[in-house]
Amino acid sequence: MEVVDHKTHNLENGQAAEEEEEEEVDENANVLQFMDSMDAYLTLIHSLSSNLRQGWLELASARHSMGAYRVNTVLLDHTSHSAATSLLVDEGKEPHFTLCKWGSSGNEKLFLGEEQSSRDKSHPQIRHRGATQLSEEKTTSENKASCEIDDPVQKERSKSLSVFGTLVSPKLRDAQLSFETALETLVEIANRRSEMICAFDKVNKKSGGSKD
Amino acid sequence: MANRVNIPTNNSALIAMIADEDTVVGFLLAGVGNVDLRRKTNYLIVDSKTTVKQIEEAFKEFTTRSDIAVVLISQYVANMVRFLVDSYNKPIPAILEIPSKNHPYDPAHDSILSRVKHLFSTESVASRH
Repeated sequence: MEVVDHKTHNLENGQAAEEEEEEEVDENANVLQFMDSMDAYLTLIHSLSSNLRQGWLELASARHSMGAYRVNTVLLDHTSHSAATSLLVDEGKEPHFTLCKWGSSGNEKLFLGEEQSSRDKSHPQIRHRGATQLSEEKTTSENKASCEIDDPVQKERSKSLSVFGTLVSPKLRDAQLSFETALETLVEIANRRSEMICAFDKVNKKSGGSKD
Repeated sequence: MANRVNIPTNNSALIAMIADEDTVVGFLLAGVGNVDLRRKTNYLIVDSKTTVKQIEEAFKEFTTRSDIAVVLISQYVANMVRFLVDSYNKPIPAILEIPSKNHPYDPAHDSILSRVKHLFSTESVASRH
């Protein structure tokens, strides 16, 4: 009888130890997730500072070349208009933000297409010797498609710049691109913030439970 | 306090700004500016004449509007209304403190990092052992 009791006791101890080990693994995973999110958050903030510095410098250059009276908040459009760049929010336990640049949510292809065209600009396609006609045709049609997608984006960009006049300094256009990049970084920061808060709550819950 | 209306998941939402002139102008160039029919904007330009009360009112307005998902606030402006920013703890809109031209970002003042820093304090480590 004593042997049976001892075995039962051992079994219960083993199960408790397993559960405790699982909890510790979960807790470690939560802590790691929290640390990763915080690291990503701080790295992105650093990147944002660079983007913003670039933008401010370009804005100052534009102001210098166009004149302070032409790059001024007095010229801002105060008539009713919608934002061309907005966010899509996926609410849930961990909110997620998606940036929609220069169009409504129906222009997601626009958003993705613009990324492709900007990637193409930064990494121009290299022509290989002996390239087949098929691949050349494919490249031509891809470029045409990206140009078609770029037009509405360029129109929206120009509309935004037109607040400061018809002819604007190239530096103002550069500033616009820098702030667009900063916006992308900010949306990433918002997502990392959500992750960090969620992970922090999990870690806090666990540590609060263990203290009790 | 009444519960704010949730942002529908398939609708677009705005980015609000409480920042200096250059930052606001830059982001307006990027297309985030919105003016509604009542001529209410989604931004407040903070300059030497802007009062703390105006900043507080803008912060409260932007954090209670259902069409705003993110509020960008220059960190030096957030420091003026720190009690308000630190006491805000809803997930949406997300409050993001950003650097400004003359005031670089300081992680020690960031409200989110302040909230989580106690995980790394010596007191919390000592209390766990």
